[in-house]
Amino acid sequence: MLAGLAGGMAGFLWLAAAFGGEVPAQGFLAVTGPCGFEFPRDHAPHPGFRTEWWYYTGNLQTEAGRRFGYQLTFFRYQLTPFGGSAVWPDPPSAWRTRQIYSAHAALSDLSARRHLQAERIGRNALGIAGWLQYGQDITFYHRGWSIVIFPERHKLQAADEEFAFALELKPLKPPVFHGREGYSQKGSTPESASCYYSFSRLETRGTVTLGGKPLAVQGQSWMDHEFSTAPLEEGIVGWDWFSLQLSDNSEFMIYLLRREDGSLSAASSGSYIDSLGSKRHLESGYFAVEALDSWKSPRSGAVYPASWRVRIPILGIDLVVKSNLADQEMRTSGTTGVVYWEGSVSARGTKGGGPVEGVGYVELTGYAGGLPVLK
Amino acid sequence: MRRLISFFRLFAAFSLRHAARHGGRTVAVVLGIALGAAVFTSVRLAVHASIASFTRSMDFFAGNADRVVVRPGGLLPEETLALFYTHPAVRDYSVVSTTYVRRQGEGTEPFLLIGIDPLLDRTFRSWRIEGEGTKAIEAWLDLLREPYTILLTAPLARELEVDAGGGLALEHTRRTARFRVVGLLEPSGLALVEGGRVGIVDIATFQELTGLHGGVDRIDLKFRRGVTPSEIEALARELPEDLQLGTPSAARESGTAMIRAYQLNLSVLSFASLFVGMFLVYSLVALNVAARRRELAVLRALGAAPHTLFRLFLAEGALLGGLGWILALPIGSVLVRYLLEAVSRTITTLFVRVRVEELVLSPAELSVSFAVTLGTSLIAAWQPAREAMRVSPREAMDMMTPEERRRKSARSAALLALGCLAACAVLLPLPPAGGVPLGGYLAVLLLFLGFALLSPFLLERLASGLEGRLSRIAGPPAFLAGRAVRQGAVRTAVSVGALITAVALFTALVIMVYSFRRTVETWVRQTVSGDLFVTAKMGQVNRFRFPLPEEIVTELPRLAAGFDLVESRRWPLQRGDFPYEFEAMGMETFFRHGDFLWLEGDPEALRPRIAAGEGVLVSEVFAARTGQRTGDRFQAQIEGSLVDLPILAVVRDYRTDGGIVFYSHRHFRERYHDPRWSGVRFFFREPPADPEGELARLRRAIVAAWGDRLDLIGGRELREAVLRIFDETFAVTTVLLLIALAVAALGIATTLTVLVLERSWQLNTILAVGGSPPQIRAMILWEAAFLVAVGEGAGLACGFLLSGMLIQVINRQSFGWTFLYTVDWASLGLSLPLILAAALAAALPAVRAAFRLPPAALLRQR
Repeated sequence: MLAGLAGGMAGFLWLAAAFGGEVPAQGFLAVTGPCGFEFPRDHAPHPGFRTEWWYYTGNLQTEAGRRFGYQLTFFRYQLTPFGGSAVWPDPPSAWRTRQIYSAHAALSDLSARRHLQAERIGRNALGIAGWLQYGQDITFYHRGWSIVIFPERHKLQAADEEFAFALELKPLKPPVFHGREGYSQKGSTPESASCYYSFSRLETRGTVTLGGKPLAVQGQSWMDHEFSTAPLEEGIVGWDWFSLQLSDNSEFMIYLLRREDGSLSAASSGSYIDSLGSKRHLESGYFAVEALDSWKSPRSGAVYPASWRVRIPILGIDLVVKSNLADQEMRTSGTTGVVYWEGSVSARGTKGGGPVEGVGYVELTGYAGGLPVLK
Repeated sequence: MRRLISFFRLFAAFSLRHAARHGGRTVAVVLGIALGAAVFTSVRLAVHASIASFTRSMDFFAGNADRVVVRPGGLLPEETLALFYTHPAVRDYSVVSTTYVRRQGEGTEPFLLIGIDPLLDRTFRSWRIEGEGTKAIEAWLDLLREPYTILLTAPLARELEVDAGGGLALEHTRRTARFRVVGLLEPSGLALVEGGRVGIVDIATFQELTGLHGGVDRIDLKFRRGVTPSEIEALARELPEDLQLGTPSAARESGTAMIRAYQLNLSVLSFASLFVGMFLVYSLVALNVAARRRELAVLRALGAAPHTLFRLFLAEGALLGGLGWILALPIGSVLVRYLLEAVSRTITTLFVRVRVEELVLSPAELSVSFAVTLGTSLIAAWQPAREAMRVSPREAMDMMTPEERRRKSARSAALLALGCLAACAVLLPLPPAGGVPLGGYLAVLLLFLGFALLSPFLLERLASGLEGRLSRIAGPPAFLAGRAVRQGAVRTAVSVGALITAVALFTALVIMVYSFRRTVETWVRQTVSGDLFVTAKMGQVNRFRFPLPEEIVTELPRLAAGFDLVESRRWPLQRGDFPYEFEAMGMETFFRHGDFLWLEGDPEALRPRIAAGEGVLVSEVFAARTGQRTGDRFQAQIEGSLVDLPILAVVRDYRTDGGIVFYSHRHFRERYHDPRWSGVRFFFREPPADPEGELARLRRAIVAAWGDRLDLIGGRELREAVLRIFDETFAVTTVLLLIALAVAALGIATTLTVLVLERSWQLNTILAVGGSPPQIRAMILWEAAFLVAVGEGAGLACGFLLSGMLIQVINRQSFGWTFLYTVDWASLGLSLPLILAAALAAALPAVRAAFRLPPAALLRQR
């Protein structure tokens, strides 16, 4: 979930800045208890909650062994609550909307050591961005990019000048509801929480196009879907989020909410999913993460951790996690203005005393200065 | 280096000392040059500042789009945007709409309201909200989430007396709405458009205010990297046929193209002052060469090379030019303030809205001004300097003056003059080069030169023809004056040339402006006829794009019993770089009360055909710019209709610098679609007993019903306003003309003074042998009268020719219009004697100079 939260929060940091303290969440729906997920209903957007995101990351490779990491995220942000004070003129313009969508796509060409990225932002009007439902199929679209969630598979499509990918993802395990039945607390108050579920392992096939040349790829992906109105408490300066798919067919996700004084918030937590798909909640005291190395971005000047030792003693997990490419920094000046690190990682170590390997994604926010500025 | 120092020593001793000794004439010439340079530079600065303001504004507004999609004459359906969502050639797209609004209340000035989607527009145009972090973000979000929110520039907010967070009511054609100012814009990018008189709103708010739901003015496109021209062409082909793919700079280019002709005409006119100043330099240097031949011969005898003498006089010209340029700076700094105001107002009235915020005197502009001033002075000094080269050392001993050579010069000058006038006739009919009447301008220059070269011959003829008769009437002073003029014809020719140029310009411009005004008066009376004009509120400033609401159109005739109504709808269109308007109007009713100024064809036969919708009428400017004539077919996409009609006739129209095409409103509706009404004019069906009272009653009724949604103006008020704008437009021309005349008067004063001083010995000899001072004064005045008579007479003739050239060739080629040739005999009759008197008055210093030294002292000096 933290992938979702982190991605989402990174994506909407500017929005968080806008509504975090000064703009009351009044009028929006609040997440205060179990989410009672039902599908396909809950794959669709949840208007009334202020923010929401659908977040895909994955590690892929060609038959020849060329490796890629990818990210595709759609964000929804609601500008005003329903029945808010701002009365719409009659008739309203077709451009008038309460919903904004933004999207980030990235491709880490690990073999060629380069990271490509693109972004979109637009309003939920005139077919620029939004979602549709045909029967059980949910489609999110944003100016040529799309996510389609079918009952048995997901389909992703994104294209920019330098890269494109078109992928089919098949869930190998049922969705995981983080926290208490999807109610994932991020602070001490009940409403400081989100509804959050993931598909922790999706078999992925498709094509990656680079320089106009399509390459057949396959690998594994992770998907998060999360929505909330006020997920974070004050005093959080950033977070580190890990999602790892291990070679023993288990996965785990942990997020570390960092405070100004360097300590971690007690709300930091995670989930462990065993090979059969059963979830175990991980409290903040169950895991320890130690940064081993760092990388300084030549563009933003931010210094990010580049490798970590991750231990979850109750599961006997002791891993060294390393970024597969140092520069996977996202600079989203065209949409959110946020600078964060979102990248493919590999893990190696032991689990239950035996050797284990893994791949995954890590997101690091709050390392590139204070709150982002939109314009 | 040593040579250079030696040259400057010689220059100081020979030329500077002489110039200082004759300080008066040097100052007069420097002043003349200074005036010319000041006018030239000020006009350039003023026009350039206006153009720079316009292009900067257009560039900020155009942003960095690669192409724009528009729908000529109408709104672009917003669903068109979907064509580009997944188009392989398109990387980004954005929408823009603009209109003018004003703060509610009396006398507030409209400002530009820009409607954009702040999300889509991020990669197109730059603008920033004042303030840090969340405050700016909040303002940005408010724009999206709250209807009727606006961002204003700080200067505009001050003008409107509102601050961030405050509210204000804005009037628009369709409605008045209360806005909340969510933030102020930093002075950069889009905030600098129209000199900062802009507000930015979300496109949703824009549509809700203006009622333009479902449409935008244009869609901006950015292509992906490496897109090929053929892909762009393919994209253009994929568009529906009523849409056009154009360049973002098209509006800027068509705007600057329209200003260019005005700029060129003004520049040429401003150069006239410098041109007249050039005569002054020529005159002084030539007189110095002539008067100092003996000294030059001595210099040559002492070993000075001919090219040294050439350089001495060239340096003298350069000195005059340089000093003139320096003096031009303070004069120009005063003049430019007036010109800037006047020029920018004229450009705004005639062409495009400009708002000049700053006037920058760039090093480049200074260099151009210096180079032109110095260049003209050097050119003016070139010929006399060449003359100085020809002085032989033998002349040091030679007591004879080269009278014979001068006679020959007058004849060869006359032959050269005829050559110039012949060349003028050849150049004049040449077509314009790139919209610039180059042949016409060259012809004007040759006309001036021709007449100036003709002046020695004319002076000789006049003097020899009149001296006998004048002798009988006015006695010996007139006879002696005639003789002196005849003998000094070549030397005085230059000053006479200056006067010819100035008088010709004066005459030509008086005739042109008068012809233009009379034609416009007739046009206003016939074509802008009507007793009351009603348009949607702010219809004029918004170019009539917002039709009158249907309920008003339905109800208006009910209020206007006793009136005929002529409805109209106007669309601004573009053909390439050329902007024009299409107006559908109620022709049948219009012809009952008004008429066009027909340029060709039989109006009696044409009126019924026009009223029957058989074809369109095009304005003279439209015909000139597009090359379309009677019999051709007019084709244009207007809103959703492809209009294809024959051109039945060409008419004069002076509404804008662009062209205009007229068609019957009723037949437009029948053939194409309902054009609706953008305005309507009312005519009394029968002349009432109390027209003012009836009109007041109609106005009251309309205001009571829809006063907040309509603009009303009385027919007489409108016609007076048109003529007032016309007069303001030509105010700059008048100022430039007066300065040219002042420079010419300076030339006459200088020439006469120099002539008198040169002949002091002769004049004092006459005094010594019994001539009385009044007789000598009379003689000098007669000389002045000869010079001024030739200058004014030839100037008048030259002016009449020039006026024809200006009206029939230069105006037609520059602006596309001509006017009915009408001579303002009253103004000419009044002003020409005044010029004569002023030029004669310029001789007074010469008269005073004649007796500055006692005769004995002068004769002793000799």
